[in-house]
Order: sequence, then structure tokens, then C-alpha cells
Amino acid sequence: MNTWFKSGSPWVWLSAGGVSISLISVLGLLWLIASRGLSYFWPSELHQFNLTDEEGVKSVVIGEIYDREEIPVSQLVHLNLKLDAGQEHIERLLIKTGNRELVSLDFRWLLSTNITQRSTPKDLVVVERRTNGNFYGFIDHVVLDGVSFDGVALASEKLPELLDRVEKFQGKIDTLQKSDIGSINYELERLRLKTRKHELKGTLTKEIQADIDTQVSVLENDYRKLEERLMSYRDDISRDHLVMRAMDGQLITINFEQVLQISFNNKLGFFEKISMFISQIGSFLVDDPREANTEGGVFPAIFGTVLMVLLMTVIVSPFGVIAAIYLHEYAGKNAFTKLLRIAVINLAGVPSIVYGVFGLGFFVYMVGGSLDQIFYPETLPSPTFGTPGVLWSAITLAILTLPVVIVSTEEGLSRIPSAMRHGSLALGATKAETLWRIILPIASPAIMTGIILAIARAAGEVAPLMLVGVVKMAPNLPLDGNFPFLHLDRKFMHLGFHIYDVGFQSPNVEAARPLVYATALLLVSIIVALNMTAVSIRNRLREKFKMLEH
Amino acid sequence: MISVTPKALANSENKLDLTNLSPKQVALDIKNLNLHYGEKQALQDITMAIPKGQVTAFIGPSGCGKSTLLRCINRMNDLVDICKISGEINLNGTNIYDKHVDVAELRRKVGMVFQRPNPFPKTIYENVIYGLRITGENNRRALDEAVEKSLRSAALWNEVKDRLHESALGLSGGQQQRLVIARAIAIQPEILLLDEPTSALDPISTLTIEELINDLKKQFTVVIVTHNMQQAARVSDQTAFMYMGDLIEYSDTNTLFTTPLKKKTEDYITGRYG
Repeated sequence: MNTWFKSGSPWVWLSAGGVSISLISVLGLLWLIASRGLSYFWPSELHQFNLTDEEGVKSVVIGEIYDREEIPVSQLVHLNLKLDAGQEHIERLLIKTGNRELVSLDFRWLLSTNITQRSTPKDLVVVERRTNGNFYGFIDHVVLDGVSFDGVALASEKLPELLDRVEKFQGKIDTLQKSDIGSINYELERLRLKTRKHELKGTLTKEIQADIDTQVSVLENDYRKLEERLMSYRDDISRDHLVMRAMDGQLITINFEQVLQISFNNKLGFFEKISMFISQIGSFLVDDPREANTEGGVFPAIFGTVLMVLLMTVIVSPFGVIAAIYLHEYAGKNAFTKLLRIAVINLAGVPSIVYGVFGLGFFVYMVGGSLDQIFYPETLPSPTFGTPGVLWSAITLAILTLPVVIVSTEEGLSRIPSAMRHGSLALGATKAETLWRIILPIASPAIMTGIILAIARAAGEVAPLMLVGVVKMAPNLPLDGNFPFLHLDRKFMHLGFHIYDVGFQSPNVEAARPLVYATALLLVSIIVALNMTAVSIRNRLREKFKMLEH
Repeated sequence: MISVTPKALANSENKLDLTNLSPKQVALDIKNLNLHYGEKQALQDITMAIPKGQVTAFIGPSGCGKSTLLRCINRMNDLVDICKISGEINLNGTNIYDKHVDVAELRRKVGMVFQRPNPFPKTIYENVIYGLRITGENNRRALDEAVEKSLRSAALWNEVKDRLHESALGLSGGQQQRLVIARAIAIQPEILLLDEPTSALDPISTLTIEELINDLKKQFTVVIVTHNMQQAARVSDQTAFMYMGDLIEYSDTNTLFTTPLKKKTEDYITGRYG
């Protein structure tokens, strides 16, 4: 034993064990979010359960099996169940039954003892809808142009064509609403502000007023036309409807306007399931959220996260690098510089919510408020920059990550051999020229390391953002087709906040749970992707300067 | 005594009187130069004239101040905060320590090559034209010409002409040192300072550099610091022996190595200390 200790192998085992534990925990975490998150997109089997309860009343439940658990019998004594002697646990199933217009909760627990028969009928469908969640049931008949087509076979034959048509109209309606009508509203608002500006300055002449009025009337005319078109699309789309038979035999009419997708999950083969799985993931990535974020996609949140992180990077990099250059190259080597450096390092330890409070108080209210007074007096009292927005979020996070960039840039600067500086200075370069042409390029991998760490930190922060710009539901993206295209004053959605909101603020916790995992997986992937981009840039830079490392 | 090479003997024929040079013959005139690092005095009252178009070597044991003296000539000692200098060094009639002297301008006139090769992590081409780029030269043809001329002068052209746009860091140590010399002479300095240029190189590279130094003196005044006495004897026309911050003896190389006047010089060149 003693010789084993002396051989040094215990330390090898100890350190290898440490590495394994960290590796296993990271992989375990990824596996957990990936498996829980991705299963959300897999088209699951639809079951029909025939039940008989304790009083002998029979009923039918249709839905997906969402979860199952074993519960001790002692918890269920009050139900007076007839049980086998010695049985201690009973299986309980959580079924997603959907059909929110019939029952208020779209989830239901079933005791396995009550189930008399379970089956997976081929004709069962799940209808994904815009509102009210999924509908589970059988297709009774389809009404096309007032003509009713009975029978599942015919109905299912007509379905793809119908859904295509709906999708096309829905797309038209979306562009009409969002971009055409949206930009008219934007223009109208602009004109209103123009009038107000002239009023404030006292330069509102009759000519200007008349000019604005004609513009407004043209726009309003356009608006009316578009509205008519929108109405006609709506009529077109709501022409047809679907009649469904629910689990209790009720007939429910579903307008095609509401339908996103109809799928016979039990009829799908493996490859069809895979293609559906992939298309579900795709629509999760590109769609807008629906139903208080508990359904639909997360595109605005992805966009907001990436845009905010990029803005943050653009802001933090120059400031961090300049600060590090000053500290390392120009500041005198005295106690004050040391103090400054310690202060910078300690900034990294300040809790992020404190930065949020600072951002709200200083940037939003003070800086933003003053900007509004100076540049946007016409919109007051409604604030432009004096309210949380994507710009303030990016700046707040830039301050939060500044120490990281400063510290790693400074480390990079101090690693550069003095022979490089001397070589350049001896050729008649000034200090600034040496910095710009020699030192900064060589330090660039270290600067990139700082930026990578900054991105990793910023993309995961949620707490400060809740104070300075993130919202549950942003009506518009910060980037659109209206001049000036990038609207830095707008509020935005963020994946981190989305996870919190969906998971803990949602009225429908069970439905939201897989969405939480899926969003978490997406957030991790986005951060990894951003980091990998930065890492590959750094590696390319390192390759260029690698001979200097030894 | 050290063996004296034929080259040194040949040089002895046109001996200069170092104490009485005409202004035209002088490249650098150092007068009463004192240098302190904090409390410690590193150079004591150095007075010497370095002749134009010749190779002058500074020799002496480690810490004698020979490198410090060399670094005074292009004011590299300015980079050391605690360094204080008094006295003058005159270059073309102006004291380089005058207040109005532009240090960058001075360093363009007085090039320097360091102990370890320090090419920049750029291409060979960009390394050579670095000094020219600083002065704002952007004419492609002028730059191309300067690169070829400098590399030829540094006896490196034939080895690198096919890979001018590859990284300079891929060259061998000896090639790197010649590249650094080419870089220094590309801006056409008047004086070239070499601070132990071969101490990090192998014998063959050393020989190449020594031959190069002999060629360089046709165009430039060369001042070399070396701890290798044979090297000083081989390459230099004048040699200055320094000890503990003092200039002990300064004369033509042949005289210094064959008939030194001072006891300390004789002790050093016969290997009794150092």
C-alpha cells in the first residue's frame, strides 16, 4: 500500500476521477435536457381507454400518455378500491386529453385499476390548433364549400390539399397583417409624431398640416383596402370546416382557420414519424409562440437572444481592449494602477441583478430619459429610449462582462515577449504604431478568449435583463422592414427568460414542462454555437502566431 | 595571447588615430556619458569617438555595461523607467539626448539587431518592409525593390526569394537573424548596432553573420557588442574593452589584442577573468 502511494498513481486516479465526474455530470445534464426536450417533438401514439370507475360508471378517455408513476395504496384508501391482497403500489397514468373547449383541464390522471380496455385505433387524429390547444378525436365529416363529405377515408384524402390551402391563406394573412398593415401603422405614427414635433416647435403651418393630412388620408385609404383584402382572405379561409367526434361522443365543429395540422399518429410509419419529428422541430425554431407561450415556436426569443449577444459583443470588445491596453501599456506601475486592476477583477464578482438595477436606474431612466427629452420630445409622455429595451440590455451586459475581456486581454498583452516591442521600436515605430501593428495582432487570440468568455456569460444571464428590456411577449422583432430597420429601443424576448416564463409563470404547467426542456436545450445549443464560432476564429488566429508560444 | 586572423592584420595597415579623428571620420561622438539605473551607476564617464564606415566592437565581462552603452546610442534605454543619463552622444553634430530630438527619427538612423532573433509574426516580405510601412511608403514597386536589396545585402535573398510571402517564423535561427538584419537595413540607417547577434546561433550561422558584418561596413557604420573575443578579433576594426562601467581601453583591434596597454585588458583577453 505504501509503495502504491509513493508510486504517484493515487494522484493520477484522483485527478482522473475528478475529470470523469465533471464530464459525467455535463453529459448527464445534456442527456437529460436533450431526451426530455426532444421527446416533445416526437409524434406519440394516441390511446383510447375504456374506464369503469368505483361506482361502475363507464366512460372513454382519448389522449397521449404523458407520464406514469407508481403511487402507494395508502394514499388512495379514501377511494375504496378493490385491490389484490398485498398490493402496495398502483400505477397511475397522466393523459393529455386536450379538447379545452369541453373540459377545463387538458390533462387527466387515470388509475390503472380503472382501465378495463386500452386500444390504439388507427382513425384517431390529433388536430393542432391555433387556439385552445390540441383536439383529440375521430373525424366525423368535412364540409367543403357547403358540401359535406362523410367518412374518414374521403375526408383524409381531401385533407392534405385542404391544409395546403389553409397554410397559403394563413401566410397571406400574416404578411398582410404584419408587414403591410404594420408598416402603414408605422407610417401613420410617424406622421402623428411629425405633427406633434411641429406643434411643439410652433412651426406647424397650414401647408405642412395640409401636406400631412393628405398623406394620412392616402395611408388610411390604403389601410381600408388592405383591411378589405384581409377580410376576404378570412372569409375564404373560414369557408370550410371540420366536424370532430370527441371521446364522449359530442360532435365539435372546428373551423379550418384554426387548424395548423391534422395527423393520424397511429397510422404513421417510422420514417413518417421521423419526418414529422423534424418538421415539428423546424416549426419550433421558426414559429411565433402561441397560447401565452405554452405552444408554438420560440423564434422571437432566439432572435432576441442572438441579437442582444451580438450587440453586447460589439460594445464590450472595443471598450475592454482599450481599457486593458491603457492599464498594461500606459498606466504607471504604481499602487493606484494596482488598485484599479483589483477593482476591475472584483467587478466580475458583483451579482448580476445588481447590474440590472444599475442599468435600470442609470441607463434606462437617466440616460434614456435624457435622450427622450432631447431627441424625442414629440412622443412624450410615452418614452422611446427611457424605457427598457434591447440597447440598454446589451449595454448592461457589456458592463457585466467588461472585466472578463479586460483581464484576458491584459494577460495576453503581458505574455508577448518584450523582444517584439523592442524590435518594432528599434525600427523607428512609435509606441502607438507598435501597439497597432505588432502587439494587438499578436494579442488577438487572447482578446478572442476574453470575448468567448464574455459571450458565454452574457448569453446565459437572465436576471439583469428582466429589469432592462426582456418581456414575456414582444409584438415586434427589433429588426424589421421599417426605417431605420434596427429598432434598438424595442423590448425583446430572450430564451433564458422564456424558460422561466413558460416553466414557472404559465397557467398550464404540465403542458409547458417539455417546452422548458426543449427551450433549455435550444439555449445551450445557441450558446455553444456562438462560442464555437468565436473559438474557431481564435484557433485561426492562434495558428498564425503559434510559433511565438514557445 | 589570442591568435590574430589575417583580416585583422590587414586592417592594421590603415590604422586610425582614434584620439584625433577629423569630424568627417566620426560617426558618433560620445562625451562624458554617465548612466544610472536607480542608485547604481552602470556607465562612468564614457568618452569615445566611433569612426565612420568601420566595425567597432565592445567587449568585456558580463555586466560591464557594453550592452547598456550600445542601447544608449539609439535611446533604447528610454524604455527603462529608472534609467538616468547625463553627458552627450553626438550624431551628425546633434546631441541625440537633446529635448527636441524625435526618438523614432533617431532610431530610423540608428538601426539595432538584438541578441535573439525577433522576427514579427508576419510574412518575410512584411517583416522587411515594416520600417518602410511606418514611414508611410506604400508604393508596391519601391517596396519590392527594397525587399530584394535588403535581403541581398543580408545574404538571405537566395534562400527565401521563393517564399517571401510565407511566415518569417518558419525560418531557421540563423536565417531569422539575417532577416532581422535585412529589416534593420531596409530603412537605410547610418549606423547599425548589433547586440551579441550570434550568441543564440550555431557555429555555421555565426560564420555567415560574421561574413555579412564584413560586407555591411561598406554601407554602414557597425557597432557590435560581443562576449566572444575571437569574434571581436575577426570582425572588428576597433575594439573597446569595458569593465565595471568604465571604458578601460579603446584602440584598433590589432593593437588591443596583441599589445594591450592596460593590465586589466591583458588579464581579460588572456582569460584570467570574465
